[in-house]
Amino acid sequence: MTLLITLIGCLVFAVVAPVVGCLIAGVDRIISARMQGRVGPPLLQPYYDVRKLLEKENVSVNGVENIYIVCALVFTIIAGGIFFSGGNLLLCVFVITLSSMFFIIAAYSARSPYAEVGANRETLQVMAYEPMVLFMAVGLYLGAQTFDVRGIFALDVPIIASTWLIFIGLLFVLTIKLRKSPFDLSMSHHAHQEIVRGVTTEMSGPTLARVEIMHWCENVLFLGWVGMFFVWGNPLSILLAIAVIVVVYFLEIWIDNNFARMKWQFMLKSAWIVALVTGGINIAFVVFL
Amino acid sequence: MAFIAFLIIFPLVAAAALALFHSESARRVIVLVAGFVIAIVSIAFIVVALPAFGGRLILIEFDSEIIDHIGTGITVLIAVVVLYFAWRYKNFWAGIIATIQVVLALVVETLFAHELDVPFGLYFDGLSLLMTFIIGVIGSGICIYAIGYMEDFQAHEPKGARDRRPMFFSLMFVFLSAMYVIVFSNNLIWLFTGWEVTTLCSFLLIGFTRTEEAIRNAFRQIIMNMAGGIGFAIALYCCTAWLHTASLVEFIAYGSMAAPGAAVVAVFLAFAGITKAAQMPFQTWLLGAMVAPTPTSALLHSSTMVKAGVFLLVKLAPVFAACEVPSIMVMLVGGITFMLCSFMAISQSNGKRVLAYSTIANLGLITACAGVGTPEAVWAACFLILFHALAKSLLFMCVGTAEHHIGSRDIEDMDLLFDRMPRLARIMMLGIMGMFIAPFGMLVAKWATLVSFVDTGEVALILILGFGSAATFMFWAKWLGKLAGIAGSPENVELTVHKSEWGTLLLMAVLLIVACVLLPLISLVIVEPYVASVYGALGQDITSDNLWIASICVVFVVVVLFGSFGSPRTRRVKVYLAGVGEDHDARTFRNSLSGITTATARNWYMEDFFGESRVAPIGVWASTIVMAVAAILAFVGVGFGVTPLM
Repeated sequence: MTLLITLIGCLVFAVVAPVVGCLIAGVDRIISARMQGRVGPPLLQPYYDVRKLLEKENVSVNGVENIYIVCALVFTIIAGGIFFSGGNLLLCVFVITLSSMFFIIAAYSARSPYAEVGANRETLQVMAYEPMVLFMAVGLYLGAQTFDVRGIFALDVPIIASTWLIFIGLLFVLTIKLRKSPFDLSMSHHAHQEIVRGVTTEMSGPTLARVEIMHWCENVLFLGWVGMFFVWGNPLSILLAIAVIVVVYFLEIWIDNNFARMKWQFMLKSAWIVALVTGGINIAFVVFL
Repeated sequence: MAFIAFLIIFPLVAAAALALFHSESARRVIVLVAGFVIAIVSIAFIVVALPAFGGRLILIEFDSEIIDHIGTGITVLIAVVVLYFAWRYKNFWAGIIATIQVVLALVVETLFAHELDVPFGLYFDGLSLLMTFIIGVIGSGICIYAIGYMEDFQAHEPKGARDRRPMFFSLMFVFLSAMYVIVFSNNLIWLFTGWEVTTLCSFLLIGFTRTEEAIRNAFRQIIMNMAGGIGFAIALYCCTAWLHTASLVEFIAYGSMAAPGAAVVAVFLAFAGITKAAQMPFQTWLLGAMVAPTPTSALLHSSTMVKAGVFLLVKLAPVFAACEVPSIMVMLVGGITFMLCSFMAISQSNGKRVLAYSTIANLGLITACAGVGTPEAVWAACFLILFHALAKSLLFMCVGTAEHHIGSRDIEDMDLLFDRMPRLARIMMLGIMGMFIAPFGMLVAKWATLVSFVDTGEVALILILGFGSAATFMFWAKWLGKLAGIAGSPENVELTVHKSEWGTLLLMAVLLIVACVLLPLISLVIVEPYVASVYGALGQDITSDNLWIASICVVFVVVVLFGSFGSPRTRRVKVYLAGVGEDHDARTFRNSLSGITTATARNWYMEDFFGESRVAPIGVWASTIVMAVAAILAFVGVGFGVTPLM
């Protein structure tokens, strides 16, 4: 039964997430532009960009990069399907990590020095945010007594009540996960941050389009994690969750536009310290009290 | 019973035959036949025993005065051999420790234990059967792999070097036999004998090349493990003197009721297990063991030796669930080892060293699970043991074969392996993925581990697992990336790999895939019944639906990895080098002064953060203090009558 629900979840996510993600990206670009005193592109500009990429000739440095990227995309969709169909959050976290790994291998396989630097940094980013993401899943368990996301709909109070510290930690690593400055080390959306674009240096045309779609889906999933903290038995709580997501995403855009890229040492140290402090204190507090 | 006797005795016969016949062709036949027979009999035993008994504990009535005497004889013999080497290489400490140990062992065996009858000398249960599979199939697979490997090894040796291969192969089979003794013995004295035989065998195997480094590392191994042996002997003394039993099953039964004195026995048995499983502060012996030929490493790391250590710890899990002091000790030592060794693995570029650290880290996780001692944790530990054995043996054999063909075991030199040894690189990638990434079995086991830690509210272990897993991702992913690089078509150098090596590599790869796909089934048939028989409760809290989702993902990944690569429709271009390219496959380009520059890229090792010299002392001291405090607390518990003696 769970298998079937997950499968349906994946199919729905595969259709809905790119649309939602695309719109979020469009809004993101408009708001960013306004913050920089520009008018910005039309809302559907990300869609036009990807459509153009898909129409381009399929050019690559080897025959496998493309396949790895397809894998990364597929696993992102599976992770999203698991999450939004109310499945096991840990499984969702592990599958999204698998997706990151395929993305990293795709960059390595090109053997471009620039892509390799990007891949190294991407690996480092995964290492930096992974503990906090696991603690987030533990937070769900502490609040809902289950790792199944659907468990939150049976709650009287949202899990944020007992895990707000973990939520703050999650917000910190969310900047890494959403690929926002100051932690967009492996590849940046800002042209001024780097001379050659890291991980995706050798990706072009349809492959690059798939990376972009994957990024949209990821964003939807991660924002779903944020919303999860605010949902309980009351159906109206979903509206609250969406409101929180809007605020959080606006905050991320603001951070993105106001900070220059940090060094990796700072990212690793700060992300781990935040994870240790927020995760450690929060988990200990719930377990021992 | 007949199966068990055969599995213990037959490898010894094979070992004797190998010691007698020195010719190349005879050795090949003996190893091949013996390996197959052991594997087939092991599987037959599992197939016969499982449907009949499930995973339940089956005691076998068997007691023999003669075997007791043989055991004592072997103990003395081991001491003599170690003393001989200690005298020959002037190693004072090894001599002292061997003497202490043999005296202690003889005192316990002759004065205390012989009055105690263990009518049920042998037993088997789900965990033993799982180990039978690991020893019988993976262990003998490694022996077969060694045929081809050792031919290449001898060819790489200087001319006129003595051919010690007969001894090498004999020892490998003695090792298997000793492992069977360990997993089937209910009589603790016999178990101890098997325990010591594995210590001696690995001593001789590590020192195989007789170079200065090999001998130094072999002595480090024997000193640490004999110290563990002394711990075992003390545990035997306490067990026989206070609890009046020399039966493992009875001891576990007493221990899980927190019988007086049991905590002390558990602390010392756990100490023995920790030394054998190379947990901090004893991790250096396993790192040093790499000087031996690769099949030895594969055997030590995957199916024998260290697995004996964690086998004992997992066996004792119900005792840990009841006794707080040994439980906390084992959890902390395992947890510290897992996290710090994962950190140190990041800083290593030598492939075998990365593997060694990863082994120690994973054993740490198993140890921590055993320390937690709940049914869920034991379920996770069983799967960690199984998948670690499969993936790690595969990886060691891959690195060994690659070393012989590209002339290096450094990960940086494995650049372009995907081109140079396409099949081997894919198998190696499979092994690496099997070690750390969802949906493969190892990660499913880690997942269960996390769930059990959360369930029991072990805050420290949750944090340790979080950071340790992140480090694990780092060091595996960058290795995986190195392997995945593709450029042009360099010469294919894997055509000269021996058939026996391919055979075993493929077998392990297939086993790994099958085990990952069938994980829910293995859980249902063998691990769950075992856990249920030990605790009377099911210990599985990942629903089988989720396990099947993971299975489906495994199939998908494997198809991608081994399916046909490269669609013909795409146009190929050269990589971007920020200059006029000269040779794109070699990454050289013309620079602004019209000279030729080669772009190089190395992986990150982050010495400043995760270097051995920074991290290791922390773990060594922390673990030592934890164990010392635990030993004192356990004795204080007895002394102050918190747990009065019987």
